[in-house]
Amino acid sequence: MTDGMRANRLLQAAAYTVAIGTSLLFLYPYWWMLVSAFRPTRAIMSAPLRPWPETFSFQIFSEIGRIGGVNLSTYVFNSLTITTLSTLLSVIVTALGAYALTRRPKAPGFGLIRYGFLITIMYPYMLLVIPVYLVMFKLGLLGSYAGIILFLALGPLQFFLFEQFFRKIPNEVIEAAVIDGASEWQILTKVVLPMAMPITATVSLITFLLNWSQWFPIMVISRSPDTYTLPVALLSMNSELGSNFQGIMALAVLTTLPVAALFLLAQKRVMEGMAAGAVKG
Amino acid sequence: MTELLGNLSRDRVFYLLVAPFAALTILLGIWPILLSIQVSFTASATALRPNPTYVGFANYLAVLSDSIFLASLWRTLLYTVLSVIANLAFALGFAILLDSTLLKRGNLFFRLAIFLPVITPDVAGYVVWRWLYDRSFGALNAALELLGLPAFGGLSSVDTALLSILIAELWHHAGFYMIIFLANLSIRDRALEEAAQIDGATTWQRWRYVILPQLRPALVINTVYALIQFLKTFTVVVVMTKGGPNDQTNFVSYYAYQLFDQARYGEATAMATILFAIVIGLSLTAYRIGDREPGR
Repeated sequence: MTDGMRANRLLQAAAYTVAIGTSLLFLYPYWWMLVSAFRPTRAIMSAPLRPWPETFSFQIFSEIGRIGGVNLSTYVFNSLTITTLSTLLSVIVTALGAYALTRRPKAPGFGLIRYGFLITIMYPYMLLVIPVYLVMFKLGLLGSYAGIILFLALGPLQFFLFEQFFRKIPNEVIEAAVIDGASEWQILTKVVLPMAMPITATVSLITFLLNWSQWFPIMVISRSPDTYTLPVALLSMNSELGSNFQGIMALAVLTTLPVAALFLLAQKRVMEGMAAGAVKG
Repeated sequence: MTELLGNLSRDRVFYLLVAPFAALTILLGIWPILLSIQVSFTASATALRPNPTYVGFANYLAVLSDSIFLASLWRTLLYTVLSVIANLAFALGFAILLDSTLLKRGNLFFRLAIFLPVITPDVAGYVVWRWLYDRSFGALNAALELLGLPAFGGLSSVDTALLSILIAELWHHAGFYMIIFLANLSIRDRALEEAAQIDGATTWQRWRYVILPQLRPALVINTVYALIQFLKTFTVVVVMTKGGPNDQTNFVSYYAYQLFDQARYGEATAMATILFAIVIGLSLTAYRIGDREPGR
């Protein structure tokens, strides 16, 4: 018995070592990014491992006040606006679409729409962006916020989460409303939407996180850095020769911090939602 | 008859509701895909004109006899297989560890630490990794030196570039596969394990014959997701290697994008179509294999 207990203790210690060690390794890049954002480039070169900055100053954020001829505040504004608006559009369009497709799966044309969507999300995303450039050109949306926001509004996870939710609504609930003489519009606004509030919150949150990270479609649809978001600005800064290392790290912090904070505040909803959205796929 | 008309008028609402979704799917999904396929049959120089010259399968033949493309395709497949195995093994291992009774505290912390990179903007994450690997700035080689270990070639060495981006991508993606395994583990039937224990099954037997079969749904989903994910590998290459060194990380998506940048539209879209076919073929195969479930 004591032998068994000792073996168990050892096993437990090993489990903790692995779990803590791996977690710290996963978190280290964040720490290094944060510390490097506050250290002069030369200091980092001479001592890359120093665990905290020599001095503490926010000077760097004014040094990167202009990147690629555009104000840093413009990138921040673009990130917030494009992410918020594309999230709103995505949630509304996908929720209504998924609702219609689940309520009337056999309506003429509906199967085709669903398959068309499934094929779209199978297509290699970055290779889809290229012909999308041509489409945006034909629609006259190149370089516009509208073009970027429209493209970011389509996403598989959003669709699967809503579809899954609407499928689970018991038929009796809808039928009862029909018998009471409710129109389809009333069923949607008075019965279904109130039930769908929690899932809508989850989808909005996840869409915001995903769209904040987007960069390639934004870069391709943009005609100038004026419509770039933070990740795109970060990428172009990182690609410059002889770049300002400290500035890159500061911009990376700025790009990461808002979504990391949002995620930590709502971690349960995000992780459960993303797992559920995938399980449907 | 009136009932049919009533149905139709009731259905009208649904057509209205689905219209924006359908419009977006057609405009920014189906149309570009068809356009891309159409362009793949035209001569690059005329591809964007109103009346392009159609060249049949010439672009496909050119692509399939391009040794850089074939090498790139081979690299992509090799990288995909290695990444799928590494990510799923790591995710499953860590999920099992978190699910076990060995860890009594800190479970949420471990979960958050592994999942945080998933929601971290990939550009930001890979930028940090790029510099972590750097010879003069990077923390990685400084740490190795401190420990008296040989230096790691990172992104600049032909031997280690692929491994380097595999590690960075694992950091970014594995948390997602982990929570799917965890979700699956949490809904498994524990009574079966107790029964197996009573019947004298060893820990290994319990895992192999009782728990693992129940993880089949998560395994199938994760395999398909990871296959699609890594076949399309792109951002990490743009941020960290630009396809180098010596084409070691020049995957199909990146190569196609480069050709597009050089206005070789016909070949670029032919590559896109080939990759699309591979993605669909492999995903369907994985689902098919996953559905062929013995004894259920």
